[in-house]
Amino acid sequence: MTGLDSWLKQATRHLSKDSAVQVRTEIEEHYESAREAAISGGATIDGAHRLALTALGNAKTANCQYRHVLLTSAEARMLRDGEWEARVVCSRSWLKWLLVAAPVAAVLAAAVLFLTGAFALARVALVGGIGLSPLFAAPLLPVYTPSRSRVYRRAKWVALIGTLALAFGPDALKWSWLMISCLWPIAWIEWTRASIRRKLPVAKWPKQLYL
Amino acid sequence: MHEPSHGYRIAQTIKERSQGVLDFKEGTLYPALHKLENEGLVESYDGVEKGRPRRYYRITKSGRGTLTRDRAEWRELSRAVTMILGRA
Repeated sequence: MTGLDSWLKQATRHLSKDSAVQVRTEIEEHYESAREAAISGGATIDGAHRLALTALGNAKTANCQYRHVLLTSAEARMLRDGEWEARVVCSRSWLKWLLVAAPVAAVLAAAVLFLTGAFALARVALVGGIGLSPLFAAPLLPVYTPSRSRVYRRAKWVALIGTLALAFGPDALKWSWLMISCLWPIAWIEWTRASIRRKLPVAKWPKQLYL
Repeated sequence: MHEPSHGYRIAQTIKERSQGVLDFKEGTLYPALHKLENEGLVESYDGVEKGRPRRYYRITKSGRGTLTRDRAEWRELSRAVTMILGRA
């Protein structure tokens, strides 16, 4: 393995396949130009190689900076999975309507439970139905601009936190560890999506990035 | 600096114009260019120079606006610092 190969290996660590190819192409191109310039300036072949490699600097530093601006393998995987989910939902209209029907069913169940006197259960079903509706109805909502996306995301978080707070009632603080455990996976997805949004131009955003 | 240029030439231009003062590590230039591209301040396209494929970068309209603002801000700050140091 040459010095450049090991530099590239370190600089492309944890980057997605496409990002790694992009980094390899631009750095190899740069390295060749620097090497040629050094040779035409009178350096030996070995000396030119060393000069070009030294000029690139620390591969770990470059990797850290690349991970801030190019998609990482985890982010690319999330995009792929999201596209697969969207395809599955969009290609089956019954599934789309089932997702919309779920919160409606929860609200109806709450009404039935309320009439039968099971007030505590009715409250959980009602709050769950209303609170989770932004998540279930997401594929059908006309959210396809960055400003609508911001509004939707804020509403989603208010609904989620409100749902949990109302579901647990006065014991919400006591059960905060459970609430945090419930929200953690959603928060992690949200964090990763925010990172992807910074890295992709709006024109390339898939639907999932708006949600 | 306003005409399209590839990464290596940009790095050399910065070093030459700063007379070696801004001697940065060239591996960190591309992440900076990608950041500007993500922000819509520069755009890139593929080209060929002396038979070799190259990635060129050029400033966008929005990038020119940002450059004008940042340049004015920098001149003001630099003038202020020079005045302070001149009186010290």
